[in-house]
Amino acid sequence: MSAAHSEVASGTRIKGIYAHLDCLLAGIEKLKEAGISGFQVLSPLPRHEILEAVYEGRPSPVRWWTLVGGVTGINTGLLLTSLTASQWPMINPGGKPVVALPPYAVIMFECTILFGALFTLAGLIVHCGLPGFGLDKSLQDPRVSDDKFGIAFLRASAKDLERIAAILSDTGAIEITRGDDTIYEVPNA
Amino acid sequence: MHESIDANRPDTYAAANRDIIRVLLKPNLGWAVLFIIATSMMLYGFWCEFQQLTWGLGIAGYNPPIMWGVYIVTFVFWVGIGHAGTLISAILFLVRSRWRTGVYRASEGMTVFAVMTALLFPVLHLGRAWQVYWFFPYPNQRYLWVNFKSPLMWDVFAISTYFTVSAVFFFIGLVPDLAIVRDHSTGLVKKIYSVLALGWHGTDRQWYHYMGAYGFFAALAAPLVLSVHSVVSWDFAMAVTAGWHSTIFPPYFVAGAIFSGCAMVITLLLPMTYAFKWFDYVNMWHFEHLAKMCLLTSGILTYAYGVEYFIGWYSQNPYEWGIFYWRATGEYSWAFWTMVFCNCVAPLPWYSRKLRTNPWVLFIISIFVNIGMWFERFNIVISSLAHQFDPATHAYYRISPIEYGIMIGSFGWFGFWFLLFLQTLPAIAIAEIKEMIAPPVRGATHVEAK
Repeated sequence: MSAAHSEVASGTRIKGIYAHLDCLLAGIEKLKEAGISGFQVLSPLPRHEILEAVYEGRPSPVRWWTLVGGVTGINTGLLLTSLTASQWPMINPGGKPVVALPPYAVIMFECTILFGALFTLAGLIVHCGLPGFGLDKSLQDPRVSDDKFGIAFLRASAKDLERIAAILSDTGAIEITRGDDTIYEVPNA
Repeated sequence: MHESIDANRPDTYAAANRDIIRVLLKPNLGWAVLFIIATSMMLYGFWCEFQQLTWGLGIAGYNPPIMWGVYIVTFVFWVGIGHAGTLISAILFLVRSRWRTGVYRASEGMTVFAVMTALLFPVLHLGRAWQVYWFFPYPNQRYLWVNFKSPLMWDVFAISTYFTVSAVFFFIGLVPDLAIVRDHSTGLVKKIYSVLALGWHGTDRQWYHYMGAYGFFAALAAPLVLSVHSVVSWDFAMAVTAGWHSTIFPPYFVAGAIFSGCAMVITLLLPMTYAFKWFDYVNMWHFEHLAKMCLLTSGILTYAYGVEYFIGWYSQNPYEWGIFYWRATGEYSWAFWTMVFCNCVAPLPWYSRKLRTNPWVLFIISIFVNIGMWFERFNIVISSLAHQFDPATHAYYRISPIEYGIMIGSFGWFGFWFLLFLQTLPAIAIAEIKEMIAPPVRGATHVEAK
């Protein structure tokens, strides 16, 4: 497939592969300075420098899922125990009140943790876009799970293409692909 | 074996990938022999359970007053073993302890499989295993719900929550590493790992939310380390039975669980490290920390044993003092002194650095600790039930062949899953190992983002 075929209405794929973390960070900074956005960074491990450069310290919204899960869990634990006991008040072991909060606190605690964890898992799946089988193939680069880094644009506008390629090249990308065609490559990098 | 974390660590991310996944799907003779032994033990356990289902719980030899026998002893033992994994993976993650990295994945695997094993025992102990759904609150025509005021019901919630959270934490940690295995495999294997890796490709978006969520999973799992065995201890402590009805039980059980879990990590990881020649990732530095954890918790246990006796004597309650005196001098004194030797005396050589960095000493003492911790639960469960308030009901409990078979089967079941894990999933967390390797940089100094 040629580069022309991979162009969609809103732009063209372009990706740079880096062998060095400092080069990658320089590439991200240069792109930001040039006012170019809409790129994704590929990395074999979670480096805090990359996340700082891209997200500038903003916390992940997954934390709200955890909070909602925890609140849902503690209420579920309280309601499950209290309402079921109220439904059959003749069961009154050990002279305890029908709705006895101290023994129910254990169930409420366990439900808080359980729901908190399950909601966090749901948040992770939603925000990470998992399962990610449908990711654009330019993001599916096996070298990235090994030891390389990458910057990928899925839909770069035509006016930015040359500038992006120049920035990727200037900051030390060892390979640049546009569409499916390699336009720049450092041998044996 | 090296005695430092940084000794001989690989220079590149690719080397870490290669070293850790090279052992996957390549069973050797040693692994095959162990797998056959574990599978045989497991099948023998299944046969014993089949006999029990056929002939009833009587075949397990339960007679009043001892209606909690080896099944409950072994249940508590396996729950305890399951503690070290979450302690290492969650609590040590939150406190940023470096020695966790090499050992946490295998410890987490051990936790999940140990809790899977523990979960079998309440079902086996039921006798009528097909009525296991009675454990759970479900609407029925009689509006009869489970009793949430019972510690047994707390236990159902505690263990099932612990298993769910541990399994999720284990799997989430695995996802980036499964993507590495996918990218290094071909054909059907690649397809299987592609599904397991959930389409992970290491984009900044994936890492950003992953790291956010991972911290919360750790924060949620950390209190479970303390709560689960506290709840298990209340199965006993809430009962008005001499030798059980004690407020010291929760911290005593938690310390015991961490003690046995860390010892089991040594028992499993030491041979694994030698078999796979993973000395660059797991070395004596890690095992020394595990031995120190065992020493700390052994000290807490020894103190707890002493306090139990002191309170029994100081309370001037003849029933309370009677059970403790009888444990040390009566028919079960052999079990009591085995426990004391294995848990209080056997770990003492680890106070010597020379001995705790000797692999043979480490391995042998860890086995003693595992034995001692099983006997601790035997002492608590059996001796108290055998020697209750009315002397006319005093009895002596003998483990039946079916109980032996099911207990052996549980070790086989655990070994079966753990050995499968070693062959199919990365037993060392590759992505986290990479975080400890200096990143490749072209410039003379490390460049931070502005």
